[in-house]
Amino acid sequence: MSTRWYPIYQKGNPQLRVFLPNFWMKIVQPQAKQLPNVVQFHCSMEMTKFDIKNYLEKIYHIPVVDVRTKIAIGKFRRDVGKGYVIKDDDVKTAYVVLPKDMKFEYPDIFANKKDDAEEEQKALGDAKKNFQDYLDRNKHRTDVPSWFTI
Amino acid sequence: MYLNRVHRTFPKLKKLVTRPQSQAVLPEQNEYTDTPEYPPILDMSLQGKKLRERQELHKKIQAINTVEEKQIALNMPRYYGWKCILFNEDKVPYNAMPLVQYYTRSHFIPVDKLPEYYKETSEAADAVVQEIKGLIEEAILIENGGVDRKFITSTKKKEQPQLEDALAKCIVKQINRIISNNLADKVEHVLSSQVDYDPRHEAFWFIGGVDTPINVVRWRQQYGKLKDRWYESIDRPIQYLGSPLLTVRNRLPLKPILPFEEAVNPEFKVPKFTAEPQACGYSTEHRHGTNIPGFWPGDFDEFGLVSYHGRGHILGRRESFGPEDHIEALHCQAMKASFGWLLAQANYQGFTTFNDVTYPLVTQTVITNGQLWSLYAYQLNTIELHRDKVDSPKSNICFGTKPLKLYDSIENGKVQGLNEDVLKMIVQFYLNAPEERDHEMKPYLGEEEQVVADIEDDNKRCWLENRYKHLVSNRPKHYLLPEVYLWERVFKIQFNSRFFEAKRRPFELGINPYTRRLDQHLPPYIPKVLRPYPKSRKKFETTYYPKV
Repeated sequence: MSTRWYPIYQKGNPQLRVFLPNFWMKIVQPQAKQLPNVVQFHCSMEMTKFDIKNYLEKIYHIPVVDVRTKIAIGKFRRDVGKGYVIKDDDVKTAYVVLPKDMKFEYPDIFANKKDDAEEEQKALGDAKKNFQDYLDRNKHRTDVPSWFTI
Repeated sequence: MYLNRVHRTFPKLKKLVTRPQSQAVLPEQNEYTDTPEYPPILDMSLQGKKLRERQELHKKIQAINTVEEKQIALNMPRYYGWKCILFNEDKVPYNAMPLVQYYTRSHFIPVDKLPEYYKETSEAADAVVQEIKGLIEEAILIENGGVDRKFITSTKKKEQPQLEDALAKCIVKQINRIISNNLADKVEHVLSSQVDYDPRHEAFWFIGGVDTPINVVRWRQQYGKLKDRWYESIDRPIQYLGSPLLTVRNRLPLKPILPFEEAVNPEFKVPKFTAEPQACGYSTEHRHGTNIPGFWPGDFDEFGLVSYHGRGHILGRRESFGPEDHIEALHCQAMKASFGWLLAQANYQGFTTFNDVTYPLVTQTVITNGQLWSLYAYQLNTIELHRDKVDSPKSNICFGTKPLKLYDSIENGKVQGLNEDVLKMIVQFYLNAPEERDHEMKPYLGEEEQVVADIEDDNKRCWLENRYKHLVSNRPKHYLLPEVYLWERVFKIQFNSRFFEAKRRPFELGINPYTRRLDQHLPPYIPKVLRPYPKSRKKFETTYYPKV
């Protein structure tokens, strides 16, 4: 289902337009501990429980036993620069219950993040050390530009 | 003392008159003993102190004399009621069995026949079945097609389940009538038993060992000192609400299925279920905890024999749950209903969720729609499930069958294939005779005062009776419940944008209105004309809340 208007036909326009539906779903990491057969999604506010069930069953062939939804209020925050309070959009959360023998575990997306950070730190340290060496080498001729060197 | 008379009129007089120094009379005694007497070594950590506080509360509740006062005492900490997890008999979410088993500490044993315990009544039951078979068939026929009736359904629930329960109730009434009539002159206890239609079954208890809710953790995280206690478990109050179609109860309790010592058998250990009940599909509601087994305290027939429940709610469940989960839902319903009823009965014997039962109680539960019958026998060994007893080895035991067909179908005005085995099992439930126990039944109740009606002081008795009935009615409060409005949350709590306004609301004064105690209210005012003659300064009526 799409909420886009089908434009009035003008000569030369395409004969057929296909609009993608408004529906979207994304898996999120649950805050409170869930049962192993429950998956938590954020989804489009227009989706009903039946839409969610059909979406997962028809597109991804996932057996859905039950769907529970809730609408959580958006966060309030101060606008940066302006200073007044603004509110984020509300979010519809869907808890999708799979058959009890199935299991879903939220993947650890940032498993490699630690290694990357370490490497960055190492590169930064090397750069700092090289610069210090350069300064040490030239400490007796501070008025000579950097390109004038071997 | 002459002072007593005048010190009210001349309050300063008391200060002027010097009192003679008072000294305690010291009896001649040696302060040394043969063996050293040390004070007990106490755990002075914060956890240790809190544990002692809780244990003291449990002892205080145990020491209260009457049933009603104990029930008020359970509710003393919350003026607006506990935030209970609602355990409705007829609402079972998908895959709820592990949760229900842990929350009622029930070990479930699936059986095809009744346990050995029923063996002695087997022959008698066979004879009875042959006598009543024809009558039962006739009753089933009449109730199913012989009467043109119109059940009134409520629009709040689905229609199909209500219709099925209404029909089941008619059939159950007939079957109960036929069996009771037949057995009345054969076994003694049937005639003396009471039958209730649509009784009110409610039970309240605390469960420990469940994950701490995220909002509690966030609250604790405000305080750096609590760092090691962020995830410490809290007690969750649970309220069971059920309405059986029909119950039979007697003056005496049924004899235990297994000896009480079997309760600690590690085979019956129930696995822990720590996920929050919301994750499973259960919801919460603010209400006072109530324990009602279908009658008021003081009734003589205070032990249940059989309870019949409808299974209409299975029709209201989603098809995607599958037939296996529907059967599990029936088991869940049976465990909830049996535990709930027995817990409420135990409460009337003076035990509470903080003072464990000292003997086992037994009940028999039947879930039916007239054609399909599931039979359960339940033994209650423990009701103390709060957080200090998470590792307690005791567990309750539930024997249960799958849904069995009493008859195959009704064709040409005749019942086809009446299953005599099922009928026999139902008869055996009635033949199971209650027995006098040779131990103290009410160890935690007073000797003379066991219910409020035994209290001699008129004022106290009437006050407690009214307060108890009003409390368990769970009627809405006259005033609206305290609330933090959204605009306040945004502009006063999250962002301090109205700092110039006077701080008057509870959250600005650091008060949580929901921690208000039950007795924190002004008692009714006594108008001057009604005060006792000649002169009384007592402006407010006395309250008799239990001191816990």
